[in-house]
Amino acid sequence: MKEVLIIGGGPAGLTAAKALVDRGDGVVLVERKESLGGMARELTCKGIVECRNCGVCLAVDRANDAVRDGSAEVLLLSEVSSIVREGERYAAKIKTSPRYVTDDCTGCGKCTSVCPVEGKAIASPTGSGIPRTFWIDRNKCLHFKKGKCVACAEACPAKAINFEDRARNLTRKIDAVVYATGIDPMDACEVSRFGCGILKDVVSSVDAERILNEKGELKRPSDGKAPKKIAVMQCVGSRTVKKGVEYCSKFCCKYATKISQLLLDIDPEVNLDFYFMDLRTLYEPQDDFKAWAKGKKTVRLIRSMPATVNLGQNGKLLVRATGETDTEIAETEYDMVILSVGMKPSGAASELAKSLGIDADGMGFAKASQELEDKGVFVVGAVSEPMDIEETAERAVATASRIHTKEGGA
Amino acid sequence: MADRKPKVIGFVCERHGMEAAVLSARSGKQHDASVRLVEVPCTGRVDGIHLLKAFEDGADAVFVFGCLEKNCYYDTGSIEGRKRVGYVKQMLEEAGIEKERLEMFNAASSNAWMFPKAVEKMVEVAKKLGPIEKGGDGQ
Amino acid sequence: MKAKIQVVICRCCSEVPALLNTDRLAMLATDADMVVSVKSVDAVCDGKDLAGVMGEAKEKEVDRAVVLACHKRDVAPALLRAYKRAGVNEFMIKLVNLREEVVLPHQAQPERAQAKAEAMLRAALVRSVMLQPRERQTEEMRTNNVVIIGAGVSGQAAARAAAKAGAHTVILEKTGKTMKAPGVILPHSQLIGAKGWTGNYTLTIRVGEKVEELEAAAIIVATGGGWTELKGPLAKAVKDAVPLYKLHERMENNDLPKGPVVVVDTPDPAGKTLKVQDYAWDDTLETVIELKKRAPSTEAYVVFQEMRAFGLNELAYKEAADIGIRFIRYDKAGAPKVDPKAPAKLAVKDFAQGEVLSIPFGTLVFASIPPNKDNEGIADALRIPMAFDGGIRRGSIQRGPVETVRPGIYVCGSALFPKSRELAEREGEMAGSMAGEFVKTGRTSYGGSVAEVEQEKCSACLTCVRTCPYEAPFIGRASKAEIRTELCQGCGICVGICPSKAIELHHYTDDQIMGEARSLLGGDF
Repeated sequence: MKEVLIIGGGPAGLTAAKALVDRGDGVVLVERKESLGGMARELTCKGIVECRNCGVCLAVDRANDAVRDGSAEVLLLSEVSSIVREGERYAAKIKTSPRYVTDDCTGCGKCTSVCPVEGKAIASPTGSGIPRTFWIDRNKCLHFKKGKCVACAEACPAKAINFEDRARNLTRKIDAVVYATGIDPMDACEVSRFGCGILKDVVSSVDAERILNEKGELKRPSDGKAPKKIAVMQCVGSRTVKKGVEYCSKFCCKYATKISQLLLDIDPEVNLDFYFMDLRTLYEPQDDFKAWAKGKKTVRLIRSMPATVNLGQNGKLLVRATGETDTEIAETEYDMVILSVGMKPSGAASELAKSLGIDADGMGFAKASQELEDKGVFVVGAVSEPMDIEETAERAVATASRIHTKEGGA
Repeated sequence: MADRKPKVIGFVCERHGMEAAVLSARSGKQHDASVRLVEVPCTGRVDGIHLLKAFEDGADAVFVFGCLEKNCYYDTGSIEGRKRVGYVKQMLEEAGIEKERLEMFNAASSNAWMFPKAVEKMVEVAKKLGPIEKGGDGQ
Repeated sequence: MKAKIQVVICRCCSEVPALLNTDRLAMLATDADMVVSVKSVDAVCDGKDLAGVMGEAKEKEVDRAVVLACHKRDVAPALLRAYKRAGVNEFMIKLVNLREEVVLPHQAQPERAQAKAEAMLRAALVRSVMLQPRERQTEEMRTNNVVIIGAGVSGQAAARAAAKAGAHTVILEKTGKTMKAPGVILPHSQLIGAKGWTGNYTLTIRVGEKVEELEAAAIIVATGGGWTELKGPLAKAVKDAVPLYKLHERMENNDLPKGPVVVVDTPDPAGKTLKVQDYAWDDTLETVIELKKRAPSTEAYVVFQEMRAFGLNELAYKEAADIGIRFIRYDKAGAPKVDPKAPAKLAVKDFAQGEVLSIPFGTLVFASIPPNKDNEGIADALRIPMAFDGGIRRGSIQRGPVETVRPGIYVCGSALFPKSRELAEREGEMAGSMAGEFVKTGRTSYGGSVAEVEQEKCSACLTCVRTCPYEAPFIGRASKAEIRTELCQGCGICVGICPSKAIELHHYTDDQIMGEARSLLGGDF
């Protein structure tokens, strides 16, 4: 039986954890944030009646498995401070930051409503993060900054606030390391010509997914009304030599086409224009989305990378773009613009990665290699190259099986 | 009679259906206490007779809550569940009972808003339409 | 024999009593008929609390339990194991989720919550009395064979992973090609039939001219994609078009193609015969770049509708364009054509320019991984559904990326959907590992909460046979339906649809479901 340290609690780390536990190995899962799910937890399920195969629930199911199965040790708000070779094995030092909220938390949210700090020092895990226990960010919390406030503790009906919670330093002896630190979404505002950050109703795809995940409907940030005409723009910050990255983030067309279908499910009369360069619908024939759009009278596919988004009349947004054959320019008004942003790998160039022998390439991806695997270091997931949740899960199981059947120690 | 609380009952599958309901509860989402839940292995298990009997036993509104179609743990289960709801809606209409009293909902395990929304919708129907009138021309 | 019920009330540390009066619940339980033990604990998931409960269960010779706690999936595993040790059958335990069904969502309605909890306790007791003990059966696997259909990239990876997990692998490859893989490789072999269930399948295979039987504990479909010829009008005009994999092979043998080389994205650009037009751009771009590097003077064109260079492959697209490979986009209205009277020229309407380009070519290459035509026969033999585009369908995302509808039968690689060789290999690894780990247990189990037909009521309408996703029901010797327990997954779809009400699902019978529903609706809250 091997002891495996998994760094990262996103789809890759979680799927690898389940696969290893199922094979009888021991797992220590270290997640930097306050709950499990990684980037996937910010995303929304894209089906209302029919599943659209986006994979988001896969991550949530694996997160539930990790928490429910007592055999995996799940450490949240934790970071690995060092991993050093010890003979055939490794010794990992892990620092766990205090959560200040116990498992008695019922998720009622009274604490957040009474928290006097702007931006709230105590909050629920974002998106669909598992577990749902709240947490206190001590950098924002008045109790730690000024030593007095106990508003949340007094409001909590479950008496779940524990200001005495302490950081812990743990050491674990392990045989293998799974490096699965995942991704961060690209900043839509990097591409400044689309009014991101200035025009309220221009949102990134991640924000649109967050809103849909929370409420099941999309509302304009400016006035709270439901948008009747939406522009979805692909490749914002990807496939570009200017502001952004040159590579394709692989999953954005898949998710954006499915979000578009979800938006039409929610409001069959909404007008939706889908601006794209190439239609990269993963694992689906390219014609399927085109056929769907043709069947909907209010959806247009426009092969064009818009030039600008500015404020139009009556609080609408004006999108300026060339037509499909570059022979004319169109200016169209929308209620809302969704910018499909790609991803950037996270944590590939950290000191810890370097100490393990992991090299980040020029674009920030951590490359897996036979050499690393021979040493017991397994890089998996979107930190190594762009991939969607489904592919991540597959690669994670393949990696777990290699770890499990590997001869000898690290 | 005026202050009789609405009676709503839901048949929820033990896979994504219940996971969605549990996620919503753990996310602090509240819903009306009028709802009762009966867990089934799959919404495909739900029989027309369960739905009709529920109305007979005093339900004002009934719903079935299962996995998303094409993502059912038992493949076509929730599609079958929806079929069952469809047949019984037809029967209700023929019996002179408002078919909005019965509804089917689907959700995945990551969806925390669908379950409270389903309950809200059915409680609203139950309050609006009140108990089913027995006797008279229909029975 | 009268039931002996133990009622356990869990305080979920302190959350439940924060809203509910658990003492009153305990009192109601104590007064209830057939309840011989009532235990209130702080946390039923805590070892010490659990031990106390089990101690009393054994002492009072309890035969069933009603546990008011939290979500079944969190508390059941440990609870059922403990009860089993205390002599209580796992199917005699009724779990009531007070925490997520009452306490958490009804914070503003404490009185109604209390009345609801009491009604749920009563309904659970009604259900509990109706429960019957059930046993799951285990069966030894006759072999530890993992049979893999297809010896391509995915199939070979599956064989390696399954072998590493300790399984004995048998690869069925329809061609005569040789390769290095663990276990047994049967060339010129095909699957023609299958019987049995997870862990114990008996396959009928054709090896060469002979028909044989082969036992399989698990099966992996790795048939890959079917390379085709050109289709439609293009096929009539161009007789020596080369599929991409052949070009790749030739280049490996230093047989570089006669230029200019034109690569079309699909064997049927006019799109009339093929619905799926997708393939691995990774391999295509890699091949044309290598070609251009080895023969820089050869002109190379790529003609496409959508440039699906996913992920980091986008950089290959850029590299290809930088080294002089020309990319021409078309749409269906301007699809590439070759005039049979001028067979060395490809006419295609450039999408952006709107002009029809005439490209002289020496070699026409097409890449495509349409579904393998063999899939239909294999799906039929294994009794698994296909995807509408001709691949083998997976069960659902919930079940897993490489599992078909039938447990114990996996699918990977382009048999599922066209993909690059590298990803097909990883999927093969995943499927092989899962199959191998399953087979390693040496046992398969079934039964418990399964469906059973009451033959006298059956009208042999075949509805259950047609509806079950797992082919568990069949018309037996008495010309009535029977359910094969080994295949039954316990979903109850057949039970819910049977027009004669002839099928019952043990542990979820009509009486149990409706009895619980009636009791809940009877509660006044």
